[in-house]
Amino acid sequence: MIVIMKAKVEEEDINRVVDTIHSLGLRTQLNLGAERVVVAVIGDISKIGEDNFFRIRAMKGVENTIFVSKPYKLVSKDFKKEQTIIDVGGVKIGGKKIVVMAGPCSVENREQIMEVAEKIKKAGASMIRGGAFKPRTSPGDFQGLGEEGLKLLYEAKEETGLPIVTEIMDARDVELVSEYADILQVGTRNMQNYTLLKELGKTNKPVLLKRGMWATMKEFLGAAEYIMNGGNENVILCERGIRTFSDYSRNTLDLSIIPAIKDESHLPIISDPSHGTGKRSLVLPLSKASVACGADGLLIETHPNPDKAISDADQTISLSAFAKLMEEVGQVAKAVGREV
Amino acid sequence: MIIVMKLGVEQSQVQETIDRIKELGFNTHLSQGQNRTIIGIVGDVSSIDESEVERLRATPYIEEVVRVSKPYKLVSRDFNKEDTVIKVNGIEIGGKKIVVMAGPCSVENKDQILNIAREVKKSGATLLRGGAFKPRTSPKDFQGLGEEGLKFLLEAKEETGLPIVTEVMDTRDVELVSEYADILQVGTRNMQNYALLKELGKIDKPVLLKRGMWATLKEFLGAAEYILAGGNQNVMLCERGIRTFSDFTRNTLDLSIVPVLKAESHLPVIVDPSHGTGRRDIVKPMALAAIACGADGLTVEAHTNPQKAISDADQTISTADLHSLMGEIKYISRMFGRDI
Repeated sequence: MIVIMKAKVEEEDINRVVDTIHSLGLRTQLNLGAERVVVAVIGDISKIGEDNFFRIRAMKGVENTIFVSKPYKLVSKDFKKEQTIIDVGGVKIGGKKIVVMAGPCSVENREQIMEVAEKIKKAGASMIRGGAFKPRTSPGDFQGLGEEGLKLLYEAKEETGLPIVTEIMDARDVELVSEYADILQVGTRNMQNYTLLKELGKTNKPVLLKRGMWATMKEFLGAAEYIMNGGNENVILCERGIRTFSDYSRNTLDLSIIPAIKDESHLPIISDPSHGTGKRSLVLPLSKASVACGADGLLIETHPNPDKAISDADQTISLSAFAKLMEEVGQVAKAVGREV
Repeated sequence: MIIVMKLGVEQSQVQETIDRIKELGFNTHLSQGQNRTIIGIVGDVSSIDESEVERLRATPYIEEVVRVSKPYKLVSRDFNKEDTVIKVNGIEIGGKKIVVMAGPCSVENKDQILNIAREVKKSGATLLRGGAFKPRTSPKDFQGLGEEGLKFLLEAKEETGLPIVTEVMDTRDVELVSEYADILQVGTRNMQNYALLKELGKIDKPVLLKRGMWATLKEFLGAAEYILAGGNQNVMLCERGIRTFSDFTRNTLDLSIVPVLKAESHLPVIVDPSHGTGRRDIVKPMALAAIACGADGLTVEAHTNPQKAISDADQTISTADLHSLMGEIKYISRMFGRDI
């Protein structure tokens, strides 16, 4: 439930509402918007009941009370109208600039990650991505370099200034990965790993939450709600393709969710055409389409020698193809009033 | 085509199989591994009848018969490297210009279609769409005006000069609808109505073939192949969304298929963001995204009063929105060296 306060409201009126809600055994979160104060009610809403719902609505200074039947509220536009802009080491995600995060699927060695960092920086990327902890389908596959990989990413950051996006798979690794990374990525398989989401809610590190390949929009926003509910408001959503019967691509990139989320939520949303298609040849056209329908950024897999990449070789583009992509995406960005 | 022999097959049985293939007029390539014997058939195997394949498959010492080649030939780029450009009343589809087909879901009455046609013309769209025969989910829903609807469409064409795109649902109506329409549309539900496809193969009227909401890429191109095989080369492919679990949209618009179809086939590709999303509010971003990833055109449902449209009201944009959409389409088209 959310309580919308009147435009010019006294502080004591807000406090009275907050106290009333607390007395029902629920928590509150205040959102001070440019125009209005909104009080979000956190906890088991069933404790409120119809009587209290209307009692709160009748209180002084209250404009309206809304039962949000959706499984999320903090992430919704009802709660916060203004687009959330997340500042990561000076790179603003959710603003006018399209943020491009690029790099290999896995961090393999120093030479590889340094070359990628330099070349993507030159091409105009804003961040470097690379996996140190890898969720591979078979336990026999390469599992990533772990902390050594994080150190190599950090060296690349020191050299180029590009902030780091890397995946976190285990609630126990949050502290470790946070020491090195600027954005913690939750992979598609962990979208409903609530233990992990709750842990991430306790930090204030920005989180890149990938859509589960099985997840409806409600479930996706519900997962983001977990992180925000814990107090971390820096959540970036990422569409990365869903499972369908269609088999010419690895996944079906569901681009319609970008404008739909923009309508529903204030959080930034980016697109991952590499996983979304699983095919090198489709990364460029679908990057352009993502920006054309309103994505705030792109997550692209690129490698000095894609054919030799340890993982995701089929969907990884070369560094020269990446430079070309940046140029063409820049044109589309211009066409929709944005920039890269 | 590849024939995989069962384990422990005898040399005489291998020879027998090779002889059978030779009788069909093909050469073979024998591969004898440590465990398995595989016979490859060399040449154009599309002439081998399916019943012959079944007979081979039923042979006790044959494990499996696999057709490696695609279930389509005439529609493929291998067959025709040049883009097919279809001319409709002086309008080229598949050329430099992006074509936009706009109009109501159903032709409702004379005034409605004339008013919409005038607005469509003013907006700069190139063709008028409108259904006279409607495939509605319930038999009790409005089924369309039939021939009267076609007459209204023709009046609208005579006044505005806009060629007509309209759906044909019955093999017995092909002649009638052809008298009025410039492009015959095959709806998603009829994508594998082979009787209808064969009938359309016999004429030379351009056909707009919509993807079945259940169809893989191969099945889609296989359906187009039916029409081309009959002798009608004027086929346009149309992506209009597929069925998935995702429920925030009516269908999941599979834009990745656009660049794949352009690479795989020489036929023009059109996108239908109205049915693809089922949501008026995201028709525009998805239309722009379609152009950004290489579509040759769009089909968009537009109405002077969308709220009052008899069918598809939720996904129909106003003619005023069509005007602004055309402006943005023009801008983004030029970014890619195209135009409207």
